[in-house]
Amino acid sequence: MGLDNFVLLSRGRRVVLYFQLLIISKSGIACAVPSTKEILIEKYADVFGEENVKKFSKMTGIFSRYTTIQEQTASDLSYEAAKHLINKKNIQLATIGAIVFVTQTPDYRLPSSACVLHKRLNLSKDCMAFDVNLGCSGYVYGLQILSSLMASSNIERGLLLAGDTLTKSCAPKDSSSCMLFGDAGSATLLERTDEKRCIQMGFRTDGNRFKAIIIPAGAYRNSDSPHERVLWGDGNVRSDYDLYMNGTDVFTFTITEVPLLISEFMDKTNTKPDNYDSFVMHQANLFILKQVAKRCKISMDKMLISMDRYGNTSVTSIPLTMADKYGDNNYGSSKMLMSGFGIGLSWGAVSAEVDTRDIYSILETDSFFKEGSVSRD
Amino acid sequence: MTTQEKLAMLEEIMELESGSLNAGTKLEDLEEWNSMAALALIALMDEEFNKILTGKQIKEFKTVQDILDFME
Repeated sequence: MGLDNFVLLSRGRRVVLYFQLLIISKSGIACAVPSTKEILIEKYADVFGEENVKKFSKMTGIFSRYTTIQEQTASDLSYEAAKHLINKKNIQLATIGAIVFVTQTPDYRLPSSACVLHKRLNLSKDCMAFDVNLGCSGYVYGLQILSSLMASSNIERGLLLAGDTLTKSCAPKDSSSCMLFGDAGSATLLERTDEKRCIQMGFRTDGNRFKAIIIPAGAYRNSDSPHERVLWGDGNVRSDYDLYMNGTDVFTFTITEVPLLISEFMDKTNTKPDNYDSFVMHQANLFILKQVAKRCKISMDKMLISMDRYGNTSVTSIPLTMADKYGDNNYGSSKMLMSGFGIGLSWGAVSAEVDTRDIYSILETDSFFKEGSVSRD
Repeated sequence: MTTQEKLAMLEEIMELESGSLNAGTKLEDLEEWNSMAALALIALMDEEFNKILTGKQIKEFKTVQDILDFME
């Protein structure tokens, strides 16, 4: 068990960093969104004009999204998803040996929110817990990190939590971002298996484009930036503490690099679009997914879509889209190709056979952790 | 590809009526020339003309002629 079953194949002529794991299976997915649903046309017609909001929705495919109340964080949503998953699957807490929380909107600057989740879920001390700071590509990266960790250890079960609340990070009238994002959290259970279940994964990064999506201040770089919002060259009013996205550059990336990775990944795994039951892509926006589908010759019928109701939920969009389609429905076993891409810039693809009976329907909750403040006594 | 065909493509991505654009049309006068039309133009350039168009280049376009020149 362990490294014997771990095959690293990155020496081929193609430069896809490629992993194949035989012993880890995805055995449960649960997701949670806040209770407040915002209909874009109702909220933004007065801000941008009704016609402009309609055009935005037509192009992006986004008509509504769910937003957190001020007190609720990404870890709260992911906690609710994890609790639901553990209860549904009747998992013994002592068997969970790792918890990885992928987020860009943690509870604190430090410590890792994964440690807070470890406490709240009442997990054993024999457990690793840490955060991973990635966004749209974060779910596929998280799968790789956790499954590799398990393949090289005696960990029986691992929890991958992925959640973001980017609606809290956008300037309120920033037309490039304020209607795009939605808040959500998720929990995915990975288990060691004796069956020959195979997860295959490929990844890339282009750090040269780290400024394409960025919140420039709020950490330790640019720590003297003023909080006042001012007019930027793209016509939007924001501060360095708000999310900035260069939409055109990100779009160029998604229609070139993402189809290239998916095509090379299918070459490497000797598969064609016909070999997959569904394609679960990061829900960047509908226009982008149509472009990716066209370039990779994937039928839109196989491309799962959830952004119309949930918006772009960053790191959560892949499990949320699976839960939206398969939640509490039995479609049997489904071969899926998942791909996440965005901030970093960072992108990856994962193929796996998933038992859809283990995917639960999406919860709605406003609950939050009430012991998160620190006493000054 | 003729200029007329190229103009027709631009009218399509900006959802303008046929014949409403000419080479001299100033982009800043067009309400339909917005960030979403820019994305559609990036996709069009990649697909039809095999050219990568950046945000910086888009900002430099002043007239429809500038876009037609890029298509060459």
